[in-house]
Amino acid sequence: MSQPDYLQPFADCLTQSSQRLFDQAEAGEKHIGYFCTYTPVELIHACGFVPIRIMGEPGVVEQAYSLVPDFICPFMKCALEKALNGGFKYLKGAVQGYTCDVSCGMANIWKENIPGELYHTFPLPYTDAPAPRDYLQKEFQAFIHKAEQAGGEFSLERLQSSLDMYAVIRRNLLSLFQSEKGGAPVLNAQERHIVAQAGYVTPPDLFLEMLEALESRKPFDSPENQGGIPVLISGSLVESFGVFDAMEKAGARIVADDLCSGYRNLLPVDGSGSGPMERLIDRYVNRFPCPSRCRAEDRFPLLMDRIEQTGARGLVFLIQKFCTPHLADIPELTRLLKAAGIPVLVVEMDESWRMGGQLQTRLEGFVEMIDGMSG
Amino acid sequence: MEKSKKSTKRLAAAKELNKAVGEYYLECAAAKEQGKPVGWMPPMNGAIELFYAMDLQPVFPENWSPVCAAFGLTPKNFEVSEGMGYSRDLCGYLRNIVGYVNGPMTDPAIPLGGLPAPDLLISPGGGCVPVMKIFHALERRFPEAKVFKADLPQVALEEIAPHHVDYAIQEMQRLIDFLEKATGRKLDQDRLREVVVLSDQACALWDEIMSFRRTIPAPFSAAEIGIMFVMVTRQGTRQAIDFLIKARDEIKERAESGTGVIEEEKLRLFWDNIPLWYNMGLFNYFEKANAVVVAETYSAAWSIRLDPADPIKALAMKSLMSYPLVSCVSIEKRKEMVLKACREYAIDGVVFHRNKSCVPISLGQMDIKKALEEELGIPSVIFDADHMDARNFSTAQFQVRIDAFLEMLAEKKSQV
Ligand code: SF4
Ligand code: SF4
Repeated sequence: MSQPDYLQPFADCLTQSSQRLFDQAEAGEKHIGYFCTYTPVELIHACGFVPIRIMGEPGVVEQAYSLVPDFICPFMKCALEKALNGGFKYLKGAVQGYTCDVSCGMANIWKENIPGELYHTFPLPYTDAPAPRDYLQKEFQAFIHKAEQAGGEFSLERLQSSLDMYAVIRRNLLSLFQSEKGGAPVLNAQERHIVAQAGYVTPPDLFLEMLEALESRKPFDSPENQGGIPVLISGSLVESFGVFDAMEKAGARIVADDLCSGYRNLLPVDGSGSGPMERLIDRYVNRFPCPSRCRAEDRFPLLMDRIEQTGARGLVFLIQKFCTPHLADIPELTRLLKAAGIPVLVVEMDESWRMGGQLQTRLEGFVEMIDGMSG
Repeated sequence: MEKSKKSTKRLAAAKELNKAVGEYYLECAAAKEQGKPVGWMPPMNGAIELFYAMDLQPVFPENWSPVCAAFGLTPKNFEVSEGMGYSRDLCGYLRNIVGYVNGPMTDPAIPLGGLPAPDLLISPGGGCVPVMKIFHALERRFPEAKVFKADLPQVALEEIAPHHVDYAIQEMQRLIDFLEKATGRKLDQDRLREVVVLSDQACALWDEIMSFRRTIPAPFSAAEIGIMFVMVTRQGTRQAIDFLIKARDEIKERAESGTGVIEEEKLRLFWDNIPLWYNMGLFNYFEKANAVVVAETYSAAWSIRLDPADPIKALAMKSLMSYPLVSCVSIEKRKEMVLKACREYAIDGVVFHRNKSCVPISLGQMDIKKALEEELGIPSVIFDADHMDARNFSTAQFQVRIDAFLEMLAEKKSQV
């Protein structure tokens, strides 16, 4: 895939990350995998590990079926397939913030079947009050203890600097996801996707340098002014570039997203509090709502905000097949969005991430329908 | 409406069960008329005992689903929820209850009087996602109900640490405060202790009932597992104890007199995952090969012993442990539990129901299967189905798989 030269380092990261991470692991770097963005990466980092997001790769699932049924999301099936084929050998374990049933089960299956030294699931609270915050502090302490037993080293100073670094990364990324003057973002959807995904598989200090280099190249000659009907996409992870091509081909322009591989991961960029631990806790009890932990009603106003900020005229739910949290919210969100005059399309992707002809026709029909609407 | 394929029952307790089910639902309807606050809650947590101790009426929407399946109401409920946009890939409990409350609930001809509308909703944070989403849908459907937004850490059993227990206790206290404020009733600590004692006694009785199934031949099979209804709906009540004592006496008598489920029990099976509520007769299918399902994972999770010395802590522990024990939250402990049961019940083979409607229980089954083979040499079979949605089950495929499995087990046993 050819990119503007300022994006090339990010694209290279994606194609070469496995080899780089293997090499770094050989050189003594300790990588820890995580599935969901509810995982406190700052804490893992402050314990001396490099958090790397575990993602699937579109493809054929075979081996994974010896451990999981076929009716779970492609993300998890493909990630497990890759792990069983040795694709994550650079990881020293897997750590997870409790979100959905599949990620919870996968964290345990991973522990049973993929060799490593550090495994943990953070049972995060669902409410925000002094008691859950106090509980979460103890939970984080328990993890620190475990990480130290696995060879990690923790101090509050380290946590402070990890928090600072991730906050700067998120602020930088956010500036790419938003427009400086309102309206469409400064990079197009595929470009934003490339940058964000590279961040998941790159050690954060290195990634920050890459972002700073990118910043210095502003303003970009990104085709943000391209035509097309502005839409918002909502779902969990997008794991294929084909989606962006298909949307573009259908005449849509993705001006905003509500994806856990995209915008949702960035908010809030930081927490606040009297010390680093309080700051960490504050961020993780205030995450941008994800359907695995929140009500559709909590998500709707935020979706509407994004729609209003970016001028999106329709919403496409781009769902991983069998993803219960998203599927279960769709009926209510659809009702609310339609009542607000926002057309909705639901697209489910399987592990191949193939956008077949039928899907293309549906996308085109959707875009035409929006185009035909007055206003 | 098409009725489900019922199982053949051999216990006199089965008749008592029909009575108990009818009485419970009548009591729910009567509570509404008597002005007793009605609260809907997920099962398997300590809120049940609090409700009984405060003389509030608990209702379990998930438990209503097997009733819907038994009376053939499920297809209509599915039609309603799927019409609302709920995907067929979602858990059948979710689609059934959402369909029911948004459709047939107002039909006066609903069996057992249907469910009374809730005054209170105990809406979980934690547990599986479908249950969480069921309650979000109920909040929408019953906007006048007072909602408790519960919060419970989801921790594998072997990882439960004091801070998880402390937090679960605080949450229990927050629930009590909510209930007192919402209903104007005070929780009497002595009454709570009594309820916890009763609940613990019910668990002890259930464990005793289960222990008789170790006898060869087993006095009853999974076909009669409905008798655990009181363990789901009436934990902490005298009615549960009375029902279980009668059942225990009958089962004990059968075990001592060597009365089995079938004439000649040759193979003893273990069942993993939820039964097919619309086809409980499936459990009798094994009998043609002289095989009996003598134990199952499902029945173990409802019996968590409670220490009455500290009732709130006991209920907090129960809430923390019940769901993880049967689900993918705690695969390690679940595996241990299955292996232990297979030893204790002299199991010859295990039947895994890979349940499209329940991801949390279906995840981890393969690890358990592997451990059974490697550590105990016990063969197992997997069949694909769904505990609520008959459209995801093929009798023909099931029979082909099971026939081959039973044949293999018989062959293996004859060589011993
Ligand atoms: S939220 Fe959806 S996509 Fe993400 S792990 Fe869970 S089921 Fe898979
Ligand atoms: S059947 Fe499984 S997925 Fe459905 S509500 Fe129960 S535990 Fe959750």
